Amino acid sequence: MPGAGGVVVGPIWRYAGGTGGGTAGSTAAGAHGARARAGTEGPDHAADPAAAIRAAADEAGSQLEALAARMRDLGRGDEAGIFDAQAMMATDPELLDAAVAGVQAGADPAASVTAAAAAAAATLAALPDELLAARAADVRDVGARIVRLMNGVAMDLPDAPAVAIADDLPPSVAAELPPGLLLGIALEGGSATAHAVILSRGLGIPAVVGATGLVAAAGGATTIAMDGETGELVLDPDPAETAEFAGRAAALAARRLAAASLRGRPGATADGARVVLLANIGGPDEAARAIDAGAEGVGLFRTEFLFMKRQSAPTEAEQVEPYRRVFEAFGPERQVVVRLADIGGDKGLPYLGLAPEANPFLGVRAIRLAAGSRELLATQLRAIWRAAGRAGVTPSVMAPMVTTLADAQLLLDLRDEARAAVAASGEPLPARMETGIMVEVPSAAIMAAELAGVVDFFSIGTNDLTQYTLAADRSNPALAYLQDALHPAVLRLVAAVVAGADGAGIPVAVCGELAGDPLGALVLMGLGVDELSADAGSLDGVRAAIASVTRAQLAELARRALAATDAAAVRLLARDLLARVGSGAAAGPRG
Amino acid sequence: MTQSAELEVRNDVGLHARPAATFVKTAARFKAAITISNLTAGKGPVNAKSLLAVLGCGVASGHRIMVSAEGEDEEAAIAAMRTLADRGFPTDMPQN
Repeated sequence: MPGAGGVVVGPIWRYAGGTGGGTAGSTAAGAHGARARAGTEGPDHAADPAAAIRAAADEAGSQLEALAARMRDLGRGDEAGIFDAQAMMATDPELLDAAVAGVQAGADPAASVTAAAAAAAATLAALPDELLAARAADVRDVGARIVRLMNGVAMDLPDAPAVAIADDLPPSVAAELPPGLLLGIALEGGSATAHAVILSRGLGIPAVVGATGLVAAAGGATTIAMDGETGELVLDPDPAETAEFAGRAAALAARRLAAASLRGRPGATADGARVVLLANIGGPDEAARAIDAGAEGVGLFRTEFLFMKRQSAPTEAEQVEPYRRVFEAFGPERQVVVRLADIGGDKGLPYLGLAPEANPFLGVRAIRLAAGSRELLATQLRAIWRAAGRAGVTPSVMAPMVTTLADAQLLLDLRDEARAAVAASGEPLPARMETGIMVEVPSAAIMAAELAGVVDFFSIGTNDLTQYTLAADRSNPALAYLQDALHPAVLRLVAAVVAGADGAGIPVAVCGELAGDPLGALVLMGLGVDELSADAGSLDGVRAAIASVTRAQLAELARRALAATDAAAVRLLARDLLARVGSGAAAGPRG
Repeated sequence: MTQSAELEVRNDVGLHARPAATFVKTAARFKAAITISNLTAGKGPVNAKSLLAVLGCGVASGHRIMVSAEGEDEEAAIAAMRTLADRGFPTDMPQN
């Protein structure tokens, strides 16, 4: 299944360190490019194996601490947290005692470390709590690292640029691979949200995930051709296949170049039908990148960064400055849609005092927090009013997880209360605040006509709308196959939202991942969506795809997509259209 | 003489990830041998200075734990663990 776009043909590099045993033997099995190997003895193994284990464990701990520090410097706090915990695991007294006990009982030192890590991993994996169980892979990865250090095997890196093939690529390995050495990533496990996939998008290399049977099938292969957009993998491609993938890669490169040349033009079809192309940003520092990418504004300004990693809620004063910076970056002519904090549920925060939930995605999230934490949202709205007044702009605000008309009414009440409170302090204020809702709960899509009567705009969050429509937890890799926003059930809801909005004359935006996929963007525009908001890096591709088609072609595409019975058929329809108009030769290989 | 305290874990995630790390780093500051049991789930006692052992107790929010310390600074150790629990195992505690 597709992970990250791009086409490449290259040598295979197998990563096996974190799986199965992770002993010297299994490292060797996967050591396509490993320089040293277990046969070359580490120092003084035989003399004092217990000391060798402890020295290697200390070194592993230091390496992982250094990785954590590097991630923190890069602003990647989640990964830093993983490596911090792994550093502690590396020097864990119980782990090392178990490993040393194994040696004293006569076992091979490397095998003892692996066995101790495997036992600890099994304990964690057996826990009912999924988050804790997920740490099992982290422990095995730590064990593999200690064994590598004991054996004097350098981190099992490819010698030359290659495509990584693995069951899964642990974050600690993915983060250590020098970017230039990685041509692509093909994983047997994983989902589109795996760390390795996010990494590959950042590096601009292709990724394919969920390729069942890949590792076994790749047994004796030396070369792989991959297309991260279609999810195709070909082991040991023949010359014709190699040429075809090389052709796709060249066409893709040409298409990216051509697309970049359209920057600065507003989004429009070949015959002039307009769609507003906006950027999703996660903080003031991303505003410049969005402007450089030719964004006509911000369709989704995520504000969670202000609320995470703290022991108390951010104050009004703390919030004003970041909002003002973004408003000023885009000025009064370009819209900036601030999304109220999408927290709670799976993103619990200590200061909210929420009880843990069995089904966090169906729980107390976002606007639903107003019941118990009304002041949290009120404070945020006051800060937005104040920041907009200081920047001299009319702000736009939307609330996530709106489910009922009462939720929408609550948002309007909170907005008006916040304005009155700020006005009382004598601050200059804009006359109005464009106030919209995220449509991501099926009930809101179904009741769109009624909701359109009370709010100023809709913004469809296709990721959550898909998760809720198909009843598939988006964090569960086993259900990744259901997490496809092109499913006709989702598209029919999008059409219902557009119809509801049209009745009241309010605009509809889409700010989910689908908006940043050129194929998805065509379908959405055909369905009558007015604005598409995506990561800045996706805008070139979307703009170019839209510029290559006509209004009538999009209408026909939408009509057929709504009549389709599965997501794959919809994707094929969109790909066919791009292939026919010529712009999508690379995006549209024979399905 | 062993010192013990029965504590309730009142934070939003239990002894996971960072809160567990805070717990273990605090325990490791003391010379006393310190153990933790998860009374709610019936797990332990295990070494409170081992992140893996503490994670393996599967302490969720709302669980009751028993912390015991034995050694020259056992009283100070229990007092520190009690303070930690009262504050919900804050992850931003200065650790050095």
